[in-house]
Amino acid sequence: MKIKILFFASIREVFDCHEKIVDIKHDENLTPNVLIENFSITEKGPWLTLLNKKKIVRVAINQTLVEWQSPLRDGDELAFLPPITGG
Amino acid sequence: MGIRIQKKTFSTESVILEMKDLNSSVGAIVTFTGFVRDFYDDKEEKKLEQLELEHYAGMTEKMLLKIELEANTRWILEDIQIIHRVGALLPGDPIVLVAVACKHRGDAFDACHFIIDYLKVEAPFWKKEKTNIGEYWVNDRKEDFLMKDRWGSVDSKKN
Repeated sequence: MKIKILFFASIREVFDCHEKIVDIKHDENLTPNVLIENFSITEKGPWLTLLNKKKIVRVAINQTLVEWQSPLRDGDELAFLPPITGG
Repeated sequence: MGIRIQKKTFSTESVILEMKDLNSSVGAIVTFTGFVRDFYDDKEEKKLEQLELEHYAGMTEKMLLKIELEANTRWILEDIQIIHRVGALLPGDPIVLVAVACKHRGDAFDACHFIIDYLKVEAPFWKKEKTNIGEYWVNDRKEDFLMKDRWGSVDSKKN
């Protein structure tokens, strides 16, 4: 399954990239939580940093704010949002 | 209703005039204009040189529309206009405008306050302050979440 991942602001700088498409083995139970835990083991680096910042990071799937335990499906757009500071 | 995300500056006065001319039942327009606050930190000798605003294109418009629709269900409004700037801004520049037109002032004040409070914590914008001694991403403020919470939840209702 393919997931498009978007990084913003401080997280974009940690990953040195704005957008990444990952192709991973189909998993019925995939959530943003599972995804970052898996990548922090296999890929380490920025994923470990993201895992450590989890408490202050919010996630959006298909441009809607969701919980870390929300299901991810093939073709979804997943975004990691650091603390929002507009206005 | 309108949502504009733009690099260029804006004029609150022009938006007020546009909204006033919309229809003759507009009796009150309340606006909130946010500016880039200039600061000088004596202790650190830190001075703001530029503010950079990043956003999540697509989601930003979606969230702002959701907030406008919610305001429309809570109050009787004639029009809402939201403008938010992105890109490089200088101290003193206008960043955000929320303008609400109504028949009467009560709804206009409340709706404008509601919209800016929700925008602050739910619309995906990020500020980076560039100063003479370095640059950093701005932290969110607990007060902003408390301000938003006073209005109750939007998500618990049917969207």
